[in-house]
Amino acid sequence: MARKSRVATPAAVGASKVQHLHNRNFKTSPPPSPGLPYLSMEPPDGDMLKGAPFGDAPYIPSRNPSAYSPLHTFELPKGTDKHYGQQYADMYFLRLALLRKAVKQKAEDAWSDFELGQEKASFVERVLDVRQGQLCWIVGTVYMEMALKPNVLDDISKEHWIAAPPPRETYVSSGGQDEMMLEDESGRLRVTGESLNSHYVTGCVLAALGTEQADGTFQVIATQYADLPRQPQRWEREDSALSRAKKPKPKRERAGKLAIISGLEITGVDDDELSLDLLLEYLTGEATGPPTQTEAAQITRLIIAGDSLSHASPILSREDFAIKKSKSKHYGYDASAYNASPAERFDTFLSDLLPTLPITLLPGASDPANVALPQQPLHTALFPKARLYAEPPAKSNETIHGLDTVTNPWDGDIEGYRVLGTGGQTVGDLLKYVDEVESLEVMEMMLRWRCIAPTAPDTLWCYPFQDDDPLLLKDCPHIYFAGCQDTFGKRVIEGPAGQKVLLVSVPKFRTTGLVVLVDLESWEVELVEVGVVQPQPAS
Amino acid sequence: MAEDEYKDYLAARVLTENKPVTYRLLSRALKVNVNVAKWMLFDFQQKQNAKKPNSVHATYLISGTKRRTQHTNGVNDRDGMDTAMRSSPFMSSMPEAEERTEEPVKTTTIALVREEELEKTRGEFQKEASIHIYSLEPGPIENLNVLSSCNHEMAIDHADPMEQWRTYGSIHNPYIKRRTAKYTPLTSSLNSNAIAKHVATPPVKPDAMAQAKESEKPVLSRKGSGVENTSGRSTPQPAASTSTLKRSDSKSGIKKDKTAGDIFKSFAKSKSKPKEAEKPQESASAPIEDAMQGMSEDDGDADDEPEVKVDEEKNEAARKVREERTERLRKMMEDDDEDMPDAPTGTELQAEATTLGTPDAIEPAEGESIVTIQNGRRRGRRRVMKKKKVKDEDGYLVTKEEATWESFSEDEPEPKKLKPAPTKQASTAKGKAAGKKGQGSIASFFKKA
Repeated sequence: MARKSRVATPAAVGASKVQHLHNRNFKTSPPPSPGLPYLSMEPPDGDMLKGAPFGDAPYIPSRNPSAYSPLHTFELPKGTDKHYGQQYADMYFLRLALLRKAVKQKAEDAWSDFELGQEKASFVERVLDVRQGQLCWIVGTVYMEMALKPNVLDDISKEHWIAAPPPRETYVSSGGQDEMMLEDESGRLRVTGESLNSHYVTGCVLAALGTEQADGTFQVIATQYADLPRQPQRWEREDSALSRAKKPKPKRERAGKLAIISGLEITGVDDDELSLDLLLEYLTGEATGPPTQTEAAQITRLIIAGDSLSHASPILSREDFAIKKSKSKHYGYDASAYNASPAERFDTFLSDLLPTLPITLLPGASDPANVALPQQPLHTALFPKARLYAEPPAKSNETIHGLDTVTNPWDGDIEGYRVLGTGGQTVGDLLKYVDEVESLEVMEMMLRWRCIAPTAPDTLWCYPFQDDDPLLLKDCPHIYFAGCQDTFGKRVIEGPAGQKVLLVSVPKFRTTGLVVLVDLESWEVELVEVGVVQPQPAS
Repeated sequence: MAEDEYKDYLAARVLTENKPVTYRLLSRALKVNVNVAKWMLFDFQQKQNAKKPNSVHATYLISGTKRRTQHTNGVNDRDGMDTAMRSSPFMSSMPEAEERTEEPVKTTTIALVREEELEKTRGEFQKEASIHIYSLEPGPIENLNVLSSCNHEMAIDHADPMEQWRTYGSIHNPYIKRRTAKYTPLTSSLNSNAIAKHVATPPVKPDAMAQAKESEKPVLSRKGSGVENTSGRSTPQPAASTSTLKRSDSKSGIKKDKTAGDIFKSFAKSKSKPKEAEKPQESASAPIEDAMQGMSEDDGDADDEPEVKVDEEKNEAARKVREERTERLRKMMEDDDEDMPDAPTGTELQAEATTLGTPDAIEPAEGESIVTIQNGRRRGRRRVMKKKKVKDEDGYLVTKEEATWESFSEDEPEPKKLKPAPTKQASTAKGKAAGKKGQGSIASFFKKA
């Protein structure tokens, strides 16, 4: 610090040398072409290739606060209040009951004056009441009968298998013998039709217009779904809370950026360390020069959307299980097989990051949380260092400025916008039902069906909800992200009532090195790619 | 201050130790801002390579926007998995936006690159926002992952992590809240654990030190250099056994600079410490009289200096004692070897020494261990008797015992009070033998036999 006063003069003396070095090492700049904004070298200068005298470190602005107010929609009752004795059939019943009104309304608007050959379409209450040849529309839950879909009955009879079938990449069988049915409380009706092919999956509720054919199948002409629900205004919750408390609205600063990553898949071994280090250094603002550092300072919150650790799920996948089984014959839990280093590495990562950036942590498929949706927050005891930044679980179930371990799926308000996110299992499972469909389209349809996990509980593990299903969408989010996808994607969709939703599919960091930045003011989406140029073998 | 320090540090690290150094490691080692550390690396690289070309190799970190290879959506073609954009929308009734011409998403690339690939990589950038040296290393590295080891080596800064932005210049966030741990911060990783353990040098009370010095004065005056001064690090004795020398070495290394490299080295050394420490304790069973024989030994190499005169009588006694001990060891092996690993502490030895009727040799007062209890950790220094072996002029091996200070910390068990039974047995067997009781171990027995 004593240096400070002395900098002025040596700087002038050293200038020529610095210039010299600069010329030798920096490529001479090509003339700026009109279209491209050319890198300006005015301070703060990103060119850190300069020598003594050093002078003072450049100024990097502080981060702004993150206006954050999580919801606890997906939290399950604790301890003995959590029951697993219920039937899953209740979930389908509940789903149909809650969505029928909205779907019926949509169908009525669309088809009330629909005529086909002088025959007016009419609504039939129960699917089994459809009479042959009658033009009508019905409301029901889709059930897909697919040959390749895992079946619980197969699991029960698996003692008779010689070898377990491989896990399915897709449930769609090539022969096209998959069948679709529509069911309600009364029964099931087999449906066919051009417009249905690979557009619906098990569990979504829809209205179908058509006629019953001679063979008893229902020929569908058109379908309707519930579409986006009501979307809250920005700052709605905060403002209403303030007006209840009779407080004036605060003046809000320009919102910062939200960084989303997923699929860190920390193994604790050395070969994935470097990109993780670079990511950390980028987010803390240590790496790169002042221009990029100043941009990084605009990030006000980091969301880690699942799969932070690799192979840490309490229930092993088929392959992992086979490996483990072949290796050793232990009865019960084998403590020696536990490897703490991934969790320790992740803890270090979090605790290095937390002094400068608040984190929302969602569990994913490979994380040490419960495996059934909704996954409950990772316990902070996993993170002995990072937990100091979290409120003690006994005191509060949310941490505004620090490490907030949350459920998967999770929703909450960030900078006034409703954000809904998942670790990606819902999207991944739905993608197995359909061919040639992107994650973004799947995400859009989930919102429009108002069900963010339609395939649960059929092919996705899920808690047996009884009286209320939080997986049904009640409020339309502003931002909906899904982690652990193959590719990055973003899209803004619009609803019938002017709702606008930004969909973001977040790729795995492990494979792509991508961090997604969402500007919460302009909804602009940026990417940051962190990578290492692998050394070429010396020629 | 840091002006020249960085040159020394980098020269030592890169040129002498042949280890890579990242800007982050440098900034942590010298406690300077990371951006200044980047400049330092560049400065050092320039000056070294000017002196001797290619003596220092660098990796660079570039950030900026990459040139798009295709004008299509730069996102989808990144991983070559072109998902077919279906011309027909997903849902027939979907309120589809007009054919979206997806404007390219702004992508900032941060790439770590060796200097060999630097020019090529920079050519791929359309706009370069910043560039700096990420690390320096003595030669081209084949696997960049070795750089992450630098981050492991970063000394654990026990300062408040909420204040580190001031020193190192990471982005400051004034809103983060951190609880203070109610428990002693449990450093989970092995490294930090070990470091914490070994860095902990016990606070030496000045008066205790003075006392120790004073008490040894009469000894010195009476017997010349007969008894070694063993008051630890403050006056390191050349005659101290090599193990103690090594230990004090590594400790002072830690104290001098807290760079990770040194800590690691000392960690590696101190890993072997328990064994080294055990050895002298195990063998510290020489009869006290021998120790009190004015054997002088000036320098470490004892075997070269056999100018020790021991009268026959004492030698005989020593032999007898040895035999007796063998006998007792055998007995111990037979019935109970449970308490054998328990090292005798200075206090015990002290008490025994005084019973032997040579009270002026060692002051009882100084035998106490100085213990401070801090955060539930016991650390301190205590006085133990160490045994030395010397060959006398007749070619006999003579063992003598001397008091040494050694520091200990929490992982060592509270010195066990001696079981009364063996004490009785030993003292009744022979008065002299009391000095060796409880100290023998099977290992030393076999060594001697």
